[in-house]
Amino acid sequence: MQSSQTPPRANLAGWLYVSPLVLVLVPFFVAPILVVLAASFFATDGFGGLTPGFTLASYVEVLHSALTLKLYLATIKFSVLTWIFTLIIGFFVAYFLVFHVRNQLLAIGLFLLCTVPFWTSNIIRMISWIPLLGKEGLINQALMALGVIRQPLEVLLFSDLAVVIAYVHQLTIFMIVPIFNSMARIDKKLIEAAIDAGASRFDIMRLIVVPMSKSGIALGTIFVVSIVMGDFFVVKVMSGGGSASVVSAFYEDVGVLQYPTAAASAVLLTLVLVAIVSLILRTVDIRQEITR
Amino acid sequence: MSAVLADMPKTEATKTVAPATTKAIAPSRGERPRTFYVLATLFALYVLALYGPMFCIYILSFQDIRGGLVFPMKGTSLHWFVDLFTQVRTGDVKGSFDRSIKLAVIVTVITVVVSFLAGLGFRKRFRGDTVVFYMMIGSLVAPGLVLGLGTGLLFQALGLNASWYTSALGAQLSWTLPFGVLVMFAVMSRFNHVWEEAAYDLGASRWQSIRLVIIPVLAPGLVAVALFGFTLSYDEFARSLQTAGSLNTLPLEIWSMTLNVTSPSLYALGTVTTIVSFIVIGASLGSIVLIQNKRGSSTKG
Amino acid sequence: MKSDRGDIELAGVCKSFDGVTNVVDGVNLKIADGAYCCFIGPSGCGKTTILRMIAGHEDPSAGEIVIGGQNVVGLAPVQRRTAMMFQSYALFPHLSVRENIAFALRVRGLSKADRLRAADVMIEKVRLTQFADRLPAQLSGGQQQRVALARAAITEPRVLLLDEPLSALDEQLRVQMRQELRRMQQELGITFIHVTHTQLEAIALADLVVVMEQGKIKQAGAARDVYAHPHDRYVAEFMGGQNVLSGRVEKVNGSCFTLAQAASSGIEVPLQTRPSVSVGDQVDIAVRRDDVALVRPGRELPPGCTTSLPSRVLAIEYQGYFVKVMLDTVPDDAFVAYVPEKTFFADPFTVGDVVMATWATGSALPLA
Repeated sequence: MQSSQTPPRANLAGWLYVSPLVLVLVPFFVAPILVVLAASFFATDGFGGLTPGFTLASYVEVLHSALTLKLYLATIKFSVLTWIFTLIIGFFVAYFLVFHVRNQLLAIGLFLLCTVPFWTSNIIRMISWIPLLGKEGLINQALMALGVIRQPLEVLLFSDLAVVIAYVHQLTIFMIVPIFNSMARIDKKLIEAAIDAGASRFDIMRLIVVPMSKSGIALGTIFVVSIVMGDFFVVKVMSGGGSASVVSAFYEDVGVLQYPTAAASAVLLTLVLVAIVSLILRTVDIRQEITR
Repeated sequence: MSAVLADMPKTEATKTVAPATTKAIAPSRGERPRTFYVLATLFALYVLALYGPMFCIYILSFQDIRGGLVFPMKGTSLHWFVDLFTQVRTGDVKGSFDRSIKLAVIVTVITVVVSFLAGLGFRKRFRGDTVVFYMMIGSLVAPGLVLGLGTGLLFQALGLNASWYTSALGAQLSWTLPFGVLVMFAVMSRFNHVWEEAAYDLGASRWQSIRLVIIPVLAPGLVAVALFGFTLSYDEFARSLQTAGSLNTLPLEIWSMTLNVTSPSLYALGTVTTIVSFIVIGASLGSIVLIQNKRGSSTKG
Repeated sequence: MKSDRGDIELAGVCKSFDGVTNVVDGVNLKIADGAYCCFIGPSGCGKTTILRMIAGHEDPSAGEIVIGGQNVVGLAPVQRRTAMMFQSYALFPHLSVRENIAFALRVRGLSKADRLRAADVMIEKVRLTQFADRLPAQLSGGQQQRVALARAAITEPRVLLLDEPLSALDEQLRVQMRQELRRMQQELGITFIHVTHTQLEAIALADLVVVMEQGKIKQAGAARDVYAHPHDRYVAEFMGGQNVLSGRVEKVNGSCFTLAQAASSGIEVPLQTRPSVSVGDQVDIAVRRDDVALVRPGRELPPGCTTSLPSRVLAIEYQGYFVKVMLDTVPDDAFVAYVPEKTFFADPFTVGDVVMATWATGSALPLA
């Protein structure tokens, strides 16, 4: 019944319905991006004043700086580590909820238990690690009491480890939800059929569950990677100033009114992000996955 | 995130269909496989790590005046809560709290209305729908701080004053709307368009069919959209940082405290804001469950 | 209002969704006021599209739809005074039975008291009084169907359109609800148009059966006409109960012609409905399965039977009041005899037996 060419009336109705959305996204997403793009080509007086013009000076500065490579390496390191941990935890939590919890109502309850913190403040959830990871925090206290260590571990808080812990804490939910959705759609009879055919648990995982959860994993990956790459406050707080990422450097640049440099670095980051996201999108039809 | 709540009716259906079988990864009766216990332990640890730290700061916020940032507890009192709302050095907590609630309510209303309309629009393909869709995805994954800076500069260039109810409102909507529309997608995928056709058949106008059929049928989903709108706005800060102007919202207040304040009043603020979140979450989930129970369950067959 | 006629005329109605292929292809049909009409055909034959065009949920690409003498193309369902009962009923899940039924009155702006009173009258008519306050999810399939019927009927339509109304029910309930539909149709005295893909349903209910294939009407007529006198091979095979044989005309003599058959002396067919047959034509004929008698070789044929075809029994299925015997009578087509139970078991065959298949010459029917 679907027609290949949509009648003009349907086009008009469609646009009418989405016009409020477009009216928000154009001034508050498209325009700001264009402003940042424009600013990256402007010159600055060093005090926040921008001179319209066209210069590649900011890009040259960003690309020549030895710091840039370091920032990107740090960002990629955090992204990859966070992605691995959120994926492993998220996959098995979703797998447990879908395939191991027998009572459906209980499964939904446990699922909601995982999602509730998503609706609370990120910053609060981040700083809540301080009493645990600090020099005199619970973990150090416990380890010393057990005699595992004599000196408190300094590496727990204000370190790269703390950054990754905070990321995984905040972002695992972005893996659980889409993977849970994909898995919940797997027909249980398929798995019974596989068992009848003599498949082992590992076979089922490898040949049925993982391939059929692929779109969920892709969707979760987009969320996790884009959030880590766009983050600055976790890096800033949890590393204690010891580490920096592309966006936290951007934050510092903005703080000292270096708008063009910041904008140039933001444009480069956006390009990298777009490349990564479109690479992932090639493996999954995100629109079909979301709307079905 | 989208299907969190919309999933409820679906699973209800599978519950009645699912055969009581002994052949599955996890047999529905009889002995559980060893992997169950391994995964259950993993799940328990995950939940512990999820909630444990949060509860630590709630507990620590109830220390008395000697309290520090780590355990052990030093006495119990409401000192730090009083401190929070009276001390000047912690900033204008009360004012920012007010603003955040107001802003969140405005954002919620706009998010529900706009997402609902967009959800209706995306049901049918139309020319250019992909552009709108990817614009939305872009707005979702773009670094918030960069967008915020762009918005701030835009307002500056246009000679407008940045404030929490103009530029910050817009910047937050660029974050809450994509989520709202994604939730609407999940909700709409369970909406049978034949209901609309039936309403038309019975003489309902377009507006009557939206008001009397679509909105009431989708009510639980719309509550879910509202929950996302409110909480995402209430906790948002990356996009607000460059756009809120001279008056702070609550997350911005928390952010500056994170950098300056080293007393349990920071934890007290965390406790207060989380209580508000929990009330909103509880009310939303409660009303969704209430509607679902009223509709689907009881005497079937 | 009741006096308004619900007779329908479709004139050259076409529908295309993609501008290339016609889903409905030049349909002409007259349906009398107060008739029970069934559209039947395989899925994708265009029957539901026709229903939706009559209902006003789809506009025809060409042609006219005339109800009670008025061309209704472009009018809304309410203006047409049609009402539709949807396939899975499409009851509003958030409204009680009473509110569902009162919906049409609510959107017309009737006061709450008025519309609920009217709804209660209708609820009584479909015998749902004790369920009036339940939500659809709390009703059985049959009860849901009655709510759907009442919800459509309260608009006082001249035509009620039913899209596969019985497909959501299980076998037993289907037979019961079938009777209820017929009863309601007689009680309301309006035109019913019912789309189905079940032959039994169509011939049990309809005054007018319309058989469709690929957007075209193959045959329209009284149930008995369509079943016993199929117009062509497609209708005969689709409606069932017929054996279809084909062959070349060998000779024409007076009131009969003879169809050449490899294995025997040919099939004699009466000429009455198909006068223009000449030697050499390729012709299909139909023989009702319950007209076929099976005789052991060498025995005498029953009176009136001139044709007998030697056959081997391929399979036997007991069906209760008759026995279905499948035979290899003709090489390319299935050939089946429905033998009354008592006749069969008086001298039962087994698979592999050779029998003579025969029938009264007058019961063979040439097809177009």
